[in-house]
Formats: sequence, structure tokens, C-alpha cells
Amino acid sequence: MFSPTRPQIFEKVDPATFEVVKNSLYSAAEEMRIVLAKTAYSPILKVAGDYSCGIFDIHGDMVAQGPDLPIHLGSMPLAVKAVINAWDSFIPGDILVHNDPYNGGSHLPDVNVVTPIFAKDTLIGFACIRAHWPDIGSATPGSYGAVTEIFGEGLRLPPVKLYVGGEKNRSVEDIIFSNVRTPHERKGDLDAQIAANNRAVSRLQELADKYGLDLLTLIMQGVMDYSENLMRKALLELPDGEGIFEDVCDGDGIISPGEEKDEPFKIRMHVIKKGDTLAVDFAGTDKQVPGPMNAPMAVTASGIYTAVKTMADPNALIPPNSGCWRTIIVKAEHGTVVHAVSPSPVVYANHEISHRVCDMLFGAMSEFAPDNVMACSQGTSAILTLGGVDYRSGEPYVSYETIKGGFGARPNKDGINTLSAGISNTMNTPVEILEMTFPVRVEHYELRTDSGGAGKYRGGLGASRAWRVLGNATHAAVCCERAISPPFGLHGGLPGAGTTISIEEPAGTYKELNTKGTFIAPSGSKILFEVPGAGGYGPPTERDPELIRSDLKNGYISLEAAKRDYGFDE
Amino acid sequence: MNWRIGVDIGGTFTDVAVVNTSDNQINIVKTPTTPDDFSKCVVTAIETTLEKQCIDAKKVELFSHATTVVTNALLEENGASTALIATRGFRDLLELRRSARSHLYDLFQEPPAILIPRHRRFEINERISAEGTIVKPMSEEELGGIIKTIKDSGVESIAVCLLFSFINDKHEKKIGQILRSEFPLMPIFLSSEILPEVREFERTSTTAVCAYVGPILRSYLRRLEEEINKLGLPELHIMGSSGGVVDTSECLKMPAIAVESGPAAGVVAASYFGNLIDYPNLITFDMGGTTAKASLVKQGKFEITSEYEVGVTGNVNRWLHGTGHPIRVPVIDLTEVSAGGGSIAWIDPAGALKVGPKSSGAKPGPACYGKGGKEPTVTDCDLVLGYLNPNHLLGGELDIDIEAARNAIEEYLAYPLNQSIEEAAASVIAVVDHNMAEALRIVSVERGHDPRDFNLIAFGGAGPVHAASLATALNIPRVIIPPIPGGFSALGLVTTDLKRDYVRTFFNSLNDADPGEISQVFTEMENLGREMLKKAEIKQNQWEFRRSADLRYNRQAYELNIPVGESFMSKEDVGDLIQRFHEQHHNTYGHANIPEPVQIVNLRLSAIGRLGKIDVKPLNSSTQHARVAKCEKRTVWFDYSGKVDCNIFARSNFTQNLSIDGPAIIEATDTTVVVPPEWKIKVDPRGFLVMEVLGNV
Repeated sequence: MFSPTRPQIFEKVDPATFEVVKNSLYSAAEEMRIVLAKTAYSPILKVAGDYSCGIFDIHGDMVAQGPDLPIHLGSMPLAVKAVINAWDSFIPGDILVHNDPYNGGSHLPDVNVVTPIFAKDTLIGFACIRAHWPDIGSATPGSYGAVTEIFGEGLRLPPVKLYVGGEKNRSVEDIIFSNVRTPHERKGDLDAQIAANNRAVSRLQELADKYGLDLLTLIMQGVMDYSENLMRKALLELPDGEGIFEDVCDGDGIISPGEEKDEPFKIRMHVIKKGDTLAVDFAGTDKQVPGPMNAPMAVTASGIYTAVKTMADPNALIPPNSGCWRTIIVKAEHGTVVHAVSPSPVVYANHEISHRVCDMLFGAMSEFAPDNVMACSQGTSAILTLGGVDYRSGEPYVSYETIKGGFGARPNKDGINTLSAGISNTMNTPVEILEMTFPVRVEHYELRTDSGGAGKYRGGLGASRAWRVLGNATHAAVCCERAISPPFGLHGGLPGAGTTISIEEPAGTYKELNTKGTFIAPSGSKILFEVPGAGGYGPPTERDPELIRSDLKNGYISLEAAKRDYGFDE
Repeated sequence: MNWRIGVDIGGTFTDVAVVNTSDNQINIVKTPTTPDDFSKCVVTAIETTLEKQCIDAKKVELFSHATTVVTNALLEENGASTALIATRGFRDLLELRRSARSHLYDLFQEPPAILIPRHRRFEINERISAEGTIVKPMSEEELGGIIKTIKDSGVESIAVCLLFSFINDKHEKKIGQILRSEFPLMPIFLSSEILPEVREFERTSTTAVCAYVGPILRSYLRRLEEEINKLGLPELHIMGSSGGVVDTSECLKMPAIAVESGPAAGVVAASYFGNLIDYPNLITFDMGGTTAKASLVKQGKFEITSEYEVGVTGNVNRWLHGTGHPIRVPVIDLTEVSAGGGSIAWIDPAGALKVGPKSSGAKPGPACYGKGGKEPTVTDCDLVLGYLNPNHLLGGELDIDIEAARNAIEEYLAYPLNQSIEEAAASVIAVVDHNMAEALRIVSVERGHDPRDFNLIAFGGAGPVHAASLATALNIPRVIIPPIPGGFSALGLVTTDLKRDYVRTFFNSLNDADPGEISQVFTEMENLGREMLKKAEIKQNQWEFRRSADLRYNRQAYELNIPVGESFMSKEDVGDLIQRFHEQHHNTYGHANIPEPVQIVNLRLSAIGRLGKIDVKPLNSSTQHARVAKCEKRTVWFDYSGKVDCNIFARSNFTQNLSIDGPAIIEATDTTVVVPPEWKIKVDPRGFLVMEVLGNV
């Protein structure tokens, strides 16, 4: 077994220089994030923050990730490695772009921009930004349709050079912008990604000037060893054990011939935690499905990594980079929903499967590490896309929103209401900005009473949000897991309330919708999202009556639920 | 003989700055801070000052104060019992927030504090559209019900924030009118009065913060006013977050502007004295016991941001953390880092050296204070390296135990790192200096300013110790140490102007905008400013109005603030503004998108009443040579040169035009100035120390 001693880097570099250069690398990644957010055009980037920024070594291993989305922890290095594999060489001024989930990407809307970094004439690493574009083509505005092949999901770009030695390759740009809706807005996003990478390029060049190439390269490697070392030590602190967890996903958004409804499928996980390693095996998981609920392996791994880091490093002492995961093993059979092969469609799975396996790992470890896990959170990114023509301007629009559910209950405290959890950390879109930009009126946006799973510690509440469609009909797509499989509780805690999505048409007809797939919402109709609350922790009977009274006073729970779930009788 | 007095409350000491406006004599009086009731130490400090300096209260022309009441109420969560009235369906905005978490992997994170609990958040039927039309009229009947509930509930203040009230404030106004007649004594805050600006959560949060701290601030200011009236002092003024004072009635209209009151005073002082001694481009560096703060002054003007969260605890504030409460009022653009003299150095499990964010605070303080601190701090390392006096600090008031510092460094750092005590101490200083340099980088490089065009002005008790090292790291050519750096922030309170900021959302394409309409909005804000200045009895020739616009490319979400000239009437003015936006965008982010239409989001106006200049009394001139001022020698460790036998000087002996080559240490009662070997320092006629790299002079 590996015995974690001091990383070797400290035999070659003094601790002060190491700390200083390491912090500079992470600052550079953080600066990329700011440039992107402040200059991007689409709400999903500028206000929701659906992107990640990283600095990579010449092999494509991630040296530093900004304080960005956990979902990209495991898959970003593949985005850079794909570029390295596709091209023999790079010259200063090259910029590459790609989005193929089966070659380093995650799902087609996530567009990677990769910039090789040179110090004088030597390649020293790469900057990469993965950003979610609100549209990448396909038949559905927002590219969130339920189709059965990746070819229907939008434009698929292998690693291509958008700039060669500083010169723009207009042909590539033309191909991209003739395949997406609102190309003008996409260009603003692409420019922002390029500008953010440029920031990393100048920062790394400054570091190379100041510390010399050799020392900088040494420290870039050392930072990953350092994270590995810390991760091993943190894992040693967690209890050893073995656990199995099974969970059911609602479906893939496709009602196949002969089916009455969207059919659920199963994910099975077997975890072994021993010493400073952790291994997860997905044997027994269902084969890949026709609809876009198939995850490339890197997407699955990211979900696992997120849960591990949350358990092992709650105080954020371990800098996130490729070194963290050397001690984590994730195994899954080809052709399953957690290790999809081309040409399976993938767009929903990117977040929904990643959320799922993250929550499941807490479940699988809850018996032997009860103090280090949390009950299931919202378990979905709860996405609504709308597309059509704005009656006010006559211009086409695409809107993309993610709505938040609850954050799971912990072994010693309640969960948190409507807070991003697990692999996601995107923000909501302000109602006023949304209504000024798109032809909808939000009728309410509020906490969903009784949605938090009851328990000694209650799960966080989910949100309820309703949109009135104004002017013209809109082409809507939804993607929301945990309708028939609500977020589970742990150690006697009850599950949170599951997803429901419904539409009320102007004629007064009301219907519940499948929580994945597309539909047309006529002008005047109201779309209603009820996003899951999180699971509770511990038996509800053990809840402090003061906390029940306070929940009642604030309307987090109803009197009816207090009586039913807690046996409350006052 | 007239006087100006400013009182600044710090963690350990309350500083009073006194200026005699006839002979420009400046003094700082320090008294201990009383954390249980701040008004007590303010009054004691003033009484002590009036007595010590033999000042007739009747002769004081300006009395201003930097308060920590607002920031503390939010950090300690002991604000007023507040109610919120919101549009039906939206009472939870304050709790839904923006839904991102600040700690990505913290299993045990706490939810952000909720200033107004759900049972005191009320909803009312009404709705205004994105175009400002009334979709659903406001229900006065429902309001009656809400008022009834509030009446018996012990509520101390009310915040009202309705959707789109920044475009159409009719409903909010009506509610305000009814509430104010029903509750004549209760502070009522309307979002359309506080912050008529788009984004409902941020507007609600700003309004809620005002309502939450309003009653506490009011009772504090009333208590203080009563006391200072008794002393016969003039009307109380409060330093606002954007770097100007307002009187108490303006402050109570908008309590959120009293955040960062003290740090703002420091930046005001820096910009004021920078202009006075002809160094108008400054990066300010204020290092105290637990934090270091940086900001930027360009051509004598400090930078302002309206993206600010109060009540945040974190390391470097590069990005909004999401743990605090956003307030969208103009705040001096400060970056704060948890690095101060009391920051504790430690080794993480993988063997890397860390400094902070934990601090030994005022109690027990660094190991060398001998008050029970066991872990090594930055001050202990400064001491061991010879930067600080090995026997006593604060002009002899604080005895120093250097052995305690050496022991702490040896046990916690040198032994595990297998280094000598001095090597370990030097490592700590390298790391903490880097952390602080990050803060300086954020306000300069990351905002598109080249540090080589700026001078570093260092203050706070520990600032001058570390300044030269930071300047070296950022290639800043010159360091300025003001007289009395330990109480420098208080000087901002006596060198300030009266200032109040106004904002109006004006959502429009700049390319198509009617310049007349824009001018109209500015004029409306200017009229409010004129009223305020008239009421404050500022002479009209001392009025100034600064106009600016928050601009962005059509589809961006973040704006850049660009100044607008006083006459803004023609299409050329519009074209010029667009051009300056492109330039600023390029400087800040590295690219501009010239063909893209530019959007106006907000128009802003600052109304300023000038309070008259003051100077600093010059030092005595003398032909005395540097050697005469020297008092002793000791061994000091420097980064590149290692161990050096170094001259020690007493600042009190300094005279005009004195010049000293490094290495040297200059000791004063409130701080120590470190002059590294490759630097030289000279004394300017007003007693400012100007330090430059040798060969640059």
C-alpha cells in the first residue's frame, strides 16, 4: 500500500516558492472565470455560470481548476488530451474548439476552447474553458430534444483549429455559426472564451519569466502530486468498508414502440473503501437507453469525484486537479448508461447521471461512514428551455434555465433550501432580467412547502416556479430527473418530494407532462415546475420539537405533514 | 483657530484625527475600543482629545465618524426584527437568493443567514410588467390585513420590494404612504427609493439590509448625537462606503451606505494626500492585525464598485462569495485578504506552508506579546527577522518577548520543515507577502492597470513593514509612508467631502438613445443632490456633480462604469461615450467588439460638497545628516542578501529632505518602516517618507 509521506516536490522546491507559484496558478484559473462571466453574452454563462476554467500541463493533465463546476472535475483533462491526440504540433496563436462527447467532450452544448500556452517557443501547457452554449443546433431550440442518436443532438465538432498561429480560420467559424440559432450571441460567447484563455496565457508566461521554465514545470507537476498526497491522507481518515446501492432513474424521455410510458432503468453501484483508495464498480447497471440518458465514462467519473471530495475534504484544503483522482478507481462496462458508446445520445445524462451517481455514492457509503455522508439532494439540474419568436421584437430567442431543489440533510444538521448541490453550481436567472429578455412572465418563484424529506434532520426544500407564455407559442424542452424516484433519505430519514412538471393551457386544460422531452406551449399557457426537495437524515421521531414548531411557523412544513411525518400533536 | 475632528473605530484602538485648519497641525489620539458599546469609546475618545489638545468644541467645524455598527450587526446577526412586503408569489426571493453555493465541497456548510424569516415575509396581490405597465392593480384591502398582523408582532422596521418597481414605483409608493401613516415612528424602506435598479434579489437584499440595520444605526447615532451635542460639537457626519461623508438624516435614509466606513476613510485619506504631495496615482495598502486591504487611486480618484456583499467571511474577495448579503450601493473598490500581523502560520498535512486565514486577533495576540498566544504569527516572524524592535513596540507601551516568538516558530514551523528559525520565518513572510500581493494585483493588473504607473501608499500598523517587498513583487517603483500610518484612516475623516450617490436604471440601447432624455434623468438626480447640499449649507461654488453611466454590450450581464460629461446633448456626445466604453472594455478584458451595440443599464450621479482643503504642517528643515538621526544597529534578514547589520532610525528625529540608503529600519510609535538593501528613502517636506529603488532616483 502507498504510504503517504511528504510529496517529493519539497525535496526540490522550498515550501514558500511552491505555495506562491501554486497560488498563482489557481489565481490565473480564477481570473479566466471572471473574464468569461463579465464578457459572455448568453444568460447561462453570464448570470448562471455554467462553465469551467482550467490550466493543464503539456500532457493534458489538469493542474488547476477555477472555483467552477464540480461536474467538470474528471472530464476536462480529456478535452485537452483530445486536442493533443488530434494534432501533431501546435504553434503560438493556435486556438482549438471541439465538443464531441465521444472524444473528450461531455454533451454537445458544452463547447471546449483550448489554447496551447507557449513561453517563448516552448509549449508549457494549455488553457481550456468548457462553456455551456444555450444552443448548438438540432431540431429543438436549446438542443435539449429527446432523440435517439447523437447525430440529432446538434453540431458535433472534433478538435479543430479555429485560429492557426493567430490567424482566424474563417471556414470553421462559418460552419459553427450556420449551425446554431442566434449565432450573433454565440459569437459573443466564443469571443469571451478566447479572451479568458488569453488571460491564462499571459499569466503563465509571466510565471515562466519570473521563475524559469524548469521550476514552473516542476511545480506544475508538483501541484498534482501534492493534491494526490492530500487526497490519500484524507481518505485514510475516512472509515473503511464496502457497500452496494441501487437506484432507479425515471426514464430517457423516449416512449419506445410498445411502451405505454417512459420506462425507468436501473443503476447499481458497489463501492470498496480501503485505506487511501476508493473503488467504485457499476456492474449490474442497465444497458444504454435509446434516449439521451447515456453518460460517457468521464461524466460518470466526475459525479464520483465530486462525492469523494465532499466526504474527504469538506474544508477545501485539497486543490482540485488531476492528482486528486489517481487514487480513485471507477469501473463500468462499455455500453451501459454510465459508460455509453457512440452513437448513443447523451445530452440529458451529462448532468442527470452525474448528479445521480454522486448522490448514490453517499448512499453506498452511508452504512460504514454515517458521519461523512449526506442524504440525497435534488438530484437533477431541472432544466427548462424555451425557443421561438419574441412578439415584442420579432426576433428569435432561446432561453435556458436551471431551477434549484433542496440540498440534502446531514448527519448533524438540516439540509439547505434551494441551493445547488453536488456536481452543479449554476445560478438562477433573475426574474426581471428574464422577462426583459424573453417573452414570458414568471407568476411565482417560491419555496415548495413540505418538499423537504422529514427526518431528525430535514432535507432542504425545492423551488416551485411558473412561467406564463406571452405573445407567441413557444417550443419548450424539459429535463428533470427524480419524478418517480424522489431523493432518498438516509438512516430512517424520508425522501424529499419528487419532480412534477405540468402545463395549464388557456382553455383551462391542465395536464402533467413527462419530465423529459419537448412540447409546444401555446401563447397564454402556464408551465409549472415543482423541483425536488432533498432527503432527510435520521428518523423523524427524533426531530427536536422546537425545530418542528419553527418549520411550522415559517411554513416550511404544513400542519398536516407535521402530524403525518412527525406525529406532531399540538 | 478652527478644527476638524474624525473618529475611526478599530479592533483594538479608536483613533481620533485632529486637524487645526489654521496651522495645518495634524494629530492622532488613540484610546482603547470598547466592543460592548461603541458609542462609549467614541465619546471617551472625543473627550480625551478635546482635553489633550485644548480644543474649544465651539471651534470645531467638521465632526465625522467611521462607524462599524452596520457591518457588525450583519456579521453578528443581531439586527432589527424586520418585515418584508413582496409581490404575490415572490416573498421567498431573499431565501432563494441566486442559488449557487460558495463552498463547493463542504458537506457541513451553513446556509447563508436569512435577514427576514419567512413568517415575517408578506405577499400582496399586484404586478407590473417588464415594460412597466400595471398587469394587476395593488390590493389595498390585503395591505390592511398585513398591517394588522405586523401591528401585534413586535416588528421594528419594514422593507418593501415589488417586481419591476424600478420602472414603475406606483405600487411601492402607495404602500409606503399607507405604512408611513400607520406606523409613523417605524423606519420604512422602499426598494424604489433605496435602489431603483434591475435585479429583484439584489434589490430586495439591499432594501432588507437597510431595514435590518436601520433601527440599530438610528439608536446608535441618536445616542452619539446626544453626547456630542452636550459637548457642544457640530452636527455628526458619517463616512459612507463610496468615500464621502453624509449627515445622519441622509445616512438613516440609506443605512447600507455605512458599510466599509472605516476602510473607505483610509482610501479617502490616501487619495487626498496623494494629490497634496503630487503622487495622484496610488495603490493603497492597509495592513492591520487580521486583514490587509488594497484599492486603487488613479489621477486622485478612487475606484468605485457596485458589486459588493456585506457579511462575507473569506480569503481573497476576487469574486462574490454568495455567503454574504449583496448590497448594490457604490462601495470603494477594496480587495480584502485575511492576512495581517496576527495571521497564524501553519503546515498542512502534505507539508505545505500556509498563513491564515486564522488570526490570533487582539486577544491573545502574537506569541511575542506574551498574552497566551502559542502559535507563530506574521508579527512573530517579522520580529525574529529583525524588522521589529526586539524589546518593545508602540513606543514602549508594549513589551515584547522575542524568545516566545522563536519558540513558537521553532515548534510549529522550523522543526517540521527542517529549517532554521530564521529560514522558517522568512518563508512565512514570503507566503503572506504573496497573499497580499494578490490583493494588490486584483485591484490593479486584473482591472487593466499597470502597477508600474502607480505608487504604493502603505498604512495600518503593519503596512510599512511589508510595503517594499510587495512593491518589488509587483514592480511598483515607489512606496509612500504617510505621517502616522497607524492612524492614517482617521485622517480620511477630516480631509473628506460631503458626498451622496444616486442611481436610476435607464434600460436602453445607447446607439439609439435620445441624449435629451438621458440629460433629463441626470437633471432629476442632480436636483436631489442640490437639495441635499443646500440643506447641508455648503456654499454653491463648492458643489460638484459627477455623472456616469453603467454600460455593456447588448447581451452582457456586467457593466463597466464610464464617466459622462456635464453637457450631454448631441449625437457626438453619444458617439464619444460609446468609443470610451470600447476602450475601457479592451483595457479591462483584452478585447472590444466595435460593431456590437452598446446598452445603457444605469445612470449614476454623485453630488459632492467640497469642504475646503487642508495641508499638512511641514517638518522643520535642517541640514542634519542621516547619521545623526541613527539610534542603533541590529541584525536583520532580507530576502536576497540574507543577514545584514542594519541601521535603526527613530522617525521622530527626522527632518525635511533627509535621505537614507537601505538597508535601514525606521521605528515610530505606531509602526516600523522596513527599507531593504536595494531601496533608498527620503523625507518629503511634509514628513511623508518616499522610498524608491536605488538607481531609480
